[in-house]
Amino acid sequence: MKNIRNFSIIAHIDHGKSTLADRIIQECGSVTDREMGTQMMDTMDIEQERGITIKAQSVRLNYVKDGKPYILNLIDTPGHVDFSYEVSKSLASSDGALLIVDAAQGVEAQTIANVYMALDNNLEILPVINKIDLPAAEPERVAEEIETSIGIDATDALLVSAKSGIGIKDLLDAIVDRVPEPSGDPDKTTKAIIYDSWFDAYLGAVALVRVFDGEIKKGQAIQLMSNKEVHNVLELMYPHPLKRHNTPSIQSGEIGIVVLGVKEVGIVNVGDTMTDAKEPCAESIGDYEPAKPFVFAGMYPIDTDKFEDLREALDKLRLNDSSLSYEPETSLALGFGFRVGFLGMLHMEVVKERLEREFNLDLIATAPSVVYNVYLNDGTLVEVQNPSELPEVNHIERIEEPYVKATVITPSEYLGNVMNLLVAKRGIQQKMDYLNEERVLLEYEVPMNEIVVGFYDTLKSISKGYASFDYDPTEFKIGDLVKLDVLVAGDVVDALSTVVPRTSSEQRGRALVKDMKEIIPRQLFEVAVQAAIGSRVIARETIKSMGKNVTAKCYGGDITRKRKLLEKQKAGKKRMKSIGKVNLPQEAFMSVLKMD
Amino acid sequence: MLLYIHIPFCDSKCSYCSFNSYVDKFHLKKTYMKALYTQLEHELARYEVQGKVIESVFIGGGTPSTVSAELYAPIFELITPFFKDNIEVTSEVNPNSGTIEWMRGLFNLGVNRLSFGVQSFNNEKLKKLARAHNSDQAKSAITNAKKVGFKNISLDIIYATAFESKALLEEDLKIAFTLPINHLSAYALTIEANTAFEHTPEVALEKLERTQWFLQAIKDHGFEQYEISNFGTYKSKHNLGYWEYKDYIGAGAGAVGFLKDTRYYPLTDIEQYIKTPLSINEETLSAEEILSEKIFLGFRSLIGVDKKILSAYQIQRAEILLEEEKLTFLEGKYYNPDYLLSDELALFLDT
Repeated sequence: MKNIRNFSIIAHIDHGKSTLADRIIQECGSVTDREMGTQMMDTMDIEQERGITIKAQSVRLNYVKDGKPYILNLIDTPGHVDFSYEVSKSLASSDGALLIVDAAQGVEAQTIANVYMALDNNLEILPVINKIDLPAAEPERVAEEIETSIGIDATDALLVSAKSGIGIKDLLDAIVDRVPEPSGDPDKTTKAIIYDSWFDAYLGAVALVRVFDGEIKKGQAIQLMSNKEVHNVLELMYPHPLKRHNTPSIQSGEIGIVVLGVKEVGIVNVGDTMTDAKEPCAESIGDYEPAKPFVFAGMYPIDTDKFEDLREALDKLRLNDSSLSYEPETSLALGFGFRVGFLGMLHMEVVKERLEREFNLDLIATAPSVVYNVYLNDGTLVEVQNPSELPEVNHIERIEEPYVKATVITPSEYLGNVMNLLVAKRGIQQKMDYLNEERVLLEYEVPMNEIVVGFYDTLKSISKGYASFDYDPTEFKIGDLVKLDVLVAGDVVDALSTVVPRTSSEQRGRALVKDMKEIIPRQLFEVAVQAAIGSRVIARETIKSMGKNVTAKCYGGDITRKRKLLEKQKAGKKRMKSIGKVNLPQEAFMSVLKMD
Repeated sequence: MLLYIHIPFCDSKCSYCSFNSYVDKFHLKKTYMKALYTQLEHELARYEVQGKVIESVFIGGGTPSTVSAELYAPIFELITPFFKDNIEVTSEVNPNSGTIEWMRGLFNLGVNRLSFGVQSFNNEKLKKLARAHNSDQAKSAITNAKKVGFKNISLDIIYATAFESKALLEEDLKIAFTLPINHLSAYALTIEANTAFEHTPEVALEKLERTQWFLQAIKDHGFEQYEISNFGTYKSKHNLGYWEYKDYIGAGAGAVGFLKDTRYYPLTDIEQYIKTPLSINEETLSAEEILSEKIFLGFRSLIGVDKKILSAYQIQRAEILLEEEKLTFLEGKYYNPDYLLSDELALFLDT
């Protein structure tokens, strides 16, 4: 155990985490230059396209320092706040963390959140200032920022450029010297934490674990402590993005992949503790809590026949994403679909994109909603995940909505813009710190429903892209909220209902129907689009009826040609959802999102 | 049963035309007409034509008036025995090549209806469309047709172009209705691939109000609109036959035929056709495709759509349209009162 170092990398998006991970792998000679494709550690298409890390990856590396061999286990972490639960479990598996900060951009909101999480796990933190070869690099200023904002000593910060390979050797030496050797007792019974799990088409559900006490052996019967499931270990491997190595056992202090041959969904969960089935350990590692979704949205196949296909696709996705939760739901407007819970907005986008791309489904996603705690007059509590299910106003005693602590770091020249935005979003200031003359850290308490949609994009646009943002759910608070309904051709379209603050409801209603008028194409009939609160209509727009759709041309006997033209049009219509007599394009359902 | 004969020769190519026609193959006329004869003989046998069963013949093109009456004679000898008593025999004709002699020749062979490719009576617009005739030629050709003895005369007008004002269309109609016609086809200019207009799509210019006015103006002259593009005090049996989904023989290079559930296409290349007039490409339609065609054909004409052929879902959709007064219902059939919406109505049934 003395020669093992388990470490994570934490960083803000774009600060070069994946590039650094790739460079470390290369420096240890674990892949050849030829094998080095783009961003080895980001393996999903969507990850590479968006430049983000969704699934944590790990790799076991060999390194020699002063003639002594070491095993370096690099535990990558997802780079987005939506996946903070997975981040926390990755950190719990490590003994040290590299804190990567961009030498030009400095500390960002998300960096701070992740460092606190690392400190909670008692990790040794090695500040690493990356991109030092950029013309705009200011390593001294950034080191100072790390000290002011996070309060850790940055005098020994490592200066590197992952892109050009500067300082990588020193960094690896520092990992050996400064990251503590793993703790744990090899003589005790097996105790390991699952910090990632996924479904492999050949192996079934597999777990990526860090062994604390004892060892995991091939053939051993192990128990998953949260659900008491017992399974035999079929195979064990050390992780590597290109070539995994089989091993007969994973020892105390090591990381490895455990193959259990489990086919069922959701048995192998991130955060769970793995122990020996015959001689289980007394306590699990940390508290296991299933990932908790914060944002909910309806997902409906445009083609109503595809409901079962959608269920299968969700089942398959869940194999790789235990944080995904879903239940069937029915919408008067959209038919049969699922109410899907997500960790956040990015998670929702990624899931929708994967469902459409990998499973070839055309979906309508309704506007995402947070969970509201609705207290009825008779004292009962109803948790509402779907705005259309908000009880009648006269039954409601009060509605409580979830709040978050929002952390924003912005250059001071945009401070006014950022504060105006936070106030418009019903934010209440908790803290304002100047990190230095140019940069300010803000903490606000903001209702979550104000930030689930569009907030991040707006923040980026009013700060020319410089402000960074992170959030952490806090508590439920009472809110003066109403349900805003949309009526199309006189009927409420349940999938378009939203919960909004009473004070801005009329303005939102007007903006929404105006937007819908632009999006909905002309139909055979005149279509009224109305916004209503209860039975009171607060805004109305009318879409005029269509005048013509016909080709007045001579085709003679070549009717096939005419039919093919019509079939093209039909394919276009298939992308729309017919609700009663009106065809609504997918964008109409997302228009609810753009109500600023 | 209907019979369509395609004559792929033209003395000029119009800017908008995508039909199978050639301006440089006149030397092949004789051999082409022989090949046509061969194919017709074969089709009569294939369709098991016996007795007087052909209700309509339509000679189209191309330009049928580029071929002399003598060359048509053998063909008429072949097909006339199968004509029904009240058969409609139409030929398309261009004002510049439709001489009195030619018209008389065809009249004597048994042609009893002429359809003139007029397109406009405005010489400027005719030039833009690259038509080979002028306004005066059109007027005299139609007057001559009447003199020869034709009672059923139609003319084509093209609208929705960038080359016209409302006044121009008004003038076109005014002139048309001074002539001895009982039928008029009005086509909106549509840009097709492999035409002179392909790269100037802006020449097709439609204003909805103008179109509505124009079609109404034709009706106001007492011509009933019996399809999106067709008007008259007389309704063409050949047109109606297509929309009623009757079988039709398609003969000639570029023709289309239909038998039972199969549409077929003789070769379009004239030389190839002459070599192998019996080789065809076939397309067998699925039940779904047939239904789709019957629906859009029914909605774009007075044929209507028989409720019995529709699925339960389509009936449910049709009933919404009925309630919204976008369809009418009479004796088991849905009818479309506004042909300008016909494609949208057809799509509505399936969405």
